[in-house]
Amino acid sequence: MKKMLQITLGIVTSVGGFLEIGSVTTAAQAGASFGYQLLWAILLGTICLIFLVEMSGRLAAVSKHTIVEATRERFGFPFFFIVLIGMVIVAFLVLVAELGGIGLSLQILTGIGFPWWAIPVSFLVWILMWKGTFGLIENGASLLGLVTLSFVVAAVKLHPDWGSAAHGLLPSFPGDQKARYWFVAVSILGASISPYLMYFYSSGAIEDEWDETYIPINRVIATFGMTLGGFLSMAVLVVAALVFHPKGIDIQKFEQASLLMTTALPKWGFIFFAMSMLFACLGAALEISLAIGYFFAQGFGWKWSENLTPSRDARFCFTYTIIIMLAAIPLLFGIDPIKVTIISMALTSATLPLAIVPFLFLMNDPIYLGKHRNGWVSNAVVVIVVLISFVLAVISIPLEIMGG
Amino acid sequence: MKLVRDVLDKELLDCEEEPMGRVDGLVMHAGKSSQPRITHIEIGGVAPWERVHPAFAWLAKRLARLWGPKRREQVRIPWSHVETVGRDIKLDVEAKETGAIDWEIWLARHVIERIPGSGNEEADDGY
Repeated sequence: MKKMLQITLGIVTSVGGFLEIGSVTTAAQAGASFGYQLLWAILLGTICLIFLVEMSGRLAAVSKHTIVEATRERFGFPFFFIVLIGMVIVAFLVLVAELGGIGLSLQILTGIGFPWWAIPVSFLVWILMWKGTFGLIENGASLLGLVTLSFVVAAVKLHPDWGSAAHGLLPSFPGDQKARYWFVAVSILGASISPYLMYFYSSGAIEDEWDETYIPINRVIATFGMTLGGFLSMAVLVVAALVFHPKGIDIQKFEQASLLMTTALPKWGFIFFAMSMLFACLGAALEISLAIGYFFAQGFGWKWSENLTPSRDARFCFTYTIIIMLAAIPLLFGIDPIKVTIISMALTSATLPLAIVPFLFLMNDPIYLGKHRNGWVSNAVVVIVVLISFVLAVISIPLEIMGG
Repeated sequence: MKLVRDVLDKELLDCEEEPMGRVDGLVMHAGKSSQPRITHIEIGGVAPWERVHPAFAWLAKRLARLWGPKRREQVRIPWSHVETVGRDIKLDVEAKETGAIDWEIWLARHVIERIPGSGNEEADDGY
């Protein structure tokens, strides 16, 4: 009974915490510019994420190590330091984007510009971390994030042509706007396969004291939670494909995206969009801030737990405090969160091998996993998707920059 | 036991099972007439940065002078204090006596505990 409850809660929190500014922006852009054509990128990213999240939980349950701890031990400090720099820079940019996403949601609700929200929003995230426990952050924010299910309601109400949508699940080559097509595909993959989510998930498994008996639970949560989450991203793409694509509207601004749901839900669509983005970005901002704190604390062997009072793990709390303060600065100066989102999603794809290759080595190491090592299917799926993301990123990012 | 695989970079726990850093360096003594043997474990300071590049070690030293606890010398724990080597390395010392968590204590006292809600009020077992 207890395990059923854990599974349900795990799936619900995965779904509620799935969408964030990156997945919504990239899916909306894909739908607006290319109709259903890029649904395959969400499918591919979600399949890869299912495998990666399952692995992150399994590593923690079997070896009692988080990914960061195991990376430092197995590869030594100099290599760990390179991964740390890469991951923290990308995660920091994503944090700026998420805080900006909360600010933009408040901007469309109140009319007060997002730079004014930078400090209150950062303070809110910080105080929730400072006073909250891991359970509050993992469950509370994700449960609020369930409002993002309204995207599915909107998609269904618009009566999409399911046949054409299913056709989009198969990769296709674009007719025109080739560079843009591949760049959006890369951004979708970057938004789906978020390394910070793996760090957060494996740390959570340690915080919740998982052992080998959790392997089946972990598998169910990863599979169903991420699959249903993937459907949410697909719903965003479908809504954008139906609302914006026929009119030829290309989403460049948050205000445009805020009209996503108003066709399907004329009365409440705008509010649902704003609340969805608000809670989705809040949940993601908390997870990323924690993930960065965990990265430093675990890598350097500091005491860490979101369940301890700050005076008991001072360096860990100091790290996330500084990171959140720094992330507010670019927003104060009015940097466009949507631009930061697009850049950070593409950069995530480009830096994926740095996060995933050492992780795969760990997942195949008998010292850490014993008989629970990866099978060839897991290895093959992750290697192929990461390789595709990386190659597409290396090719499409320069083209996108040159093109505009 | 393989030093690099089983010892270097492993997490260190003190006699109360509290984390006190990682094995950032190992010091070996090689006498003229004796076999080489590990004498000390290095924690924090410039030890991990020296492994990346001397420039990082120089920078770490400079930055530590600007701010933080007063201790200057590298924290070294004699190998004789190692109790067990497994998932972690357990030592029979108390972390705060060794200097390994000077930064933790300094930040707690000078920054974290000055912020309301840090939990210092109710926790007597803080630093």
